[in-house]
Amino acid sequence: MKIVMKYLLFYFILLAAICLIVLYAIHLHRKHKKSVRPRNKINLEPFFYTAPVFILLVLMFGYPLLNSFIMAFENYKLTEPDRIYINGFDNFTKIFSDSDFLLIAKNSLIYVVLCVLFQFIFGMILALALRKKFRGRGVYQAIVFLPWALSGFVVGLLFRWSFNGEYGIVNDVLLKMHVIQDRIPWLGTPGYSLLVVIIAMIWMGIPFFAIMILAALQSIPKEIYEAADMDGCGAIKKFFSITIPFIKPTIIMTLLLRTIWIFNSFDLIVVITGGGPANTSQTIPSYMYTMAFSSYDFGMAAALGVVLIMVLGLYSIFFLKMTKYSQAGDF
Amino acid sequence: MKQKTRKTLMLIGRVLILTFFLLAVILPIYWMVITSLKTAPEIINAQSITYFPKVTTMENYASLFEMYNYGQLLENSLIVSITSGICVTLLSILGGYGMARYDFHGKNSLVLLALVTQMIPSILVIIPLYIIFSQIGLINTRFGLFLFYLMSNLPFCVITMRSFFERFPHSLEEAARIDGCTKVQSMFKVVLPIMTPGIIAVFIFAFIGAWNELIAGTVFINTPDVWTIPVGLKSLIGKYSVNWGVLMAGGVLALLPTAIMFGFMQKYVVEGLTAGAVKE
Repeated sequence: MKIVMKYLLFYFILLAAICLIVLYAIHLHRKHKKSVRPRNKINLEPFFYTAPVFILLVLMFGYPLLNSFIMAFENYKLTEPDRIYINGFDNFTKIFSDSDFLLIAKNSLIYVVLCVLFQFIFGMILALALRKKFRGRGVYQAIVFLPWALSGFVVGLLFRWSFNGEYGIVNDVLLKMHVIQDRIPWLGTPGYSLLVVIIAMIWMGIPFFAIMILAALQSIPKEIYEAADMDGCGAIKKFFSITIPFIKPTIIMTLLLRTIWIFNSFDLIVVITGGGPANTSQTIPSYMYTMAFSSYDFGMAAALGVVLIMVLGLYSIFFLKMTKYSQAGDF
Repeated sequence: MKQKTRKTLMLIGRVLILTFFLLAVILPIYWMVITSLKTAPEIINAQSITYFPKVTTMENYASLFEMYNYGQLLENSLIVSITSGICVTLLSILGGYGMARYDFHGKNSLVLLALVTQMIPSILVIIPLYIIFSQIGLINTRFGLFLFYLMSNLPFCVITMRSFFERFPHSLEEAARIDGCTKVQSMFKVVLPIMTPGIIAVFIFAFIGAWNELIAGTVFINTPDVWTIPVGLKSLIGKYSVNWGVLMAGGVLALLPTAIMFGFMQKYVVEGLTAGAVKE
């Protein structure tokens, strides 16, 4: 009961703070506008439409997130509910002195880079091949884009079964093609287990890239290619001087969103390897999950999350700066 | 002549590429379906792995329902996905309309807020929500799961709906108003009927998002009565012997509804995906 009271109090303070900020903003806004044109009544209609979304996001997203940030600085273990106290940066020092942390950070990097790279390359190839109309393109797209609609869970199951060491089809095919001499225990071998996760993720993510790039390709006006033909441009020149510049904003946006999304998603890891063997296929989010719901150390998990968010934020800023996205369009 | 051979080469290359991607998608799914139709001894016969079942059987599907209570899982998944899908769609219509039609203070921050929620790892929200839910008694309830899916699918759907509304010509709506429609009438008689494909696409996003979700389900639900399909099937792995035939059958049944939805509405879903993520 005491804890509920604490949360309620906290919640009201939060709400009050939000209200104050909003009121202050409206106040400033009016003051600012007064000098420009006569004061008019604020139209409340759009607030009526957007309020449910806003309230839901603040309550179900903002508030828990705030809790997470506080938890990151607390000794918060579900196994010791009486010993919850603020311990400053202890969680963070523990993370960085954890011998597995480097391994996990390295895994995350390999996982993200390989997944994004291959999804992008394959997605681009598929989009280019789909560009011209052909009979049955609709049906073809419905099949080829299907992995997008599948759940990570089902895809995970499928790949776990296919890469099964004893009865898996992958070993069988490789044996029959004489690529390997013995069955490989894919999921039990460090390195290979992460590879299986990466392959599954690439398989799942190609459609999204293809969909985005295809849409961008189709928005390029045909006249430009015709003009280039008149000037005697070759196919390669056309690709690099027309196609790429035109779809660049889409590519940048898709790369940014997908990198973060892939980085954050870990249901494939949970289903296929469970992080094993010995954390060799663990990434930061899946490690957070293990930390929170296997060791019940919520404080550590939250601290990891804070590190993760900072890395993602830095990455986004760096990425947008590097690609000069502000010149290509707006967010 | 040279031009012609080059064109033929290009065509062959294209056909090869398209075939490659088709096979890459179909073969794994084929393997899944085939496994689910095999008998247990045939599945775990390491000496000869068969690419087509010697004996086709439905026993895996039968035992899914008889022994593993798949009917209950299906019911839970359907309830949670449909209700959260409908609510997300309604809220997205409201929010998207407000964000597309009006200029108001804080509109850009709202869009930004929705975008930022897409970038934050869901597990970081799930952890504190687990504590909050257990304090207010929402753990092990479908309502708690419904709330989570409502929140997690809403941002993307609102942004998508907004760009659908932005494409919708405002003049049409104004014409209806001039002809004497009230705001509500013009909404129901003009705007929404034209927007139907977009609305369906948004519903599909929300439905698939909830239907496919695993992690929040495992965290928030511990009692088998309330398990959704992924959570229930996950409980079947991790034990000493994994019954792959049953698991694959469960997987096939789990992907069937999303695959059918996607297959029929692919055009609109694709349109929604591109509209939602990239600003025109």
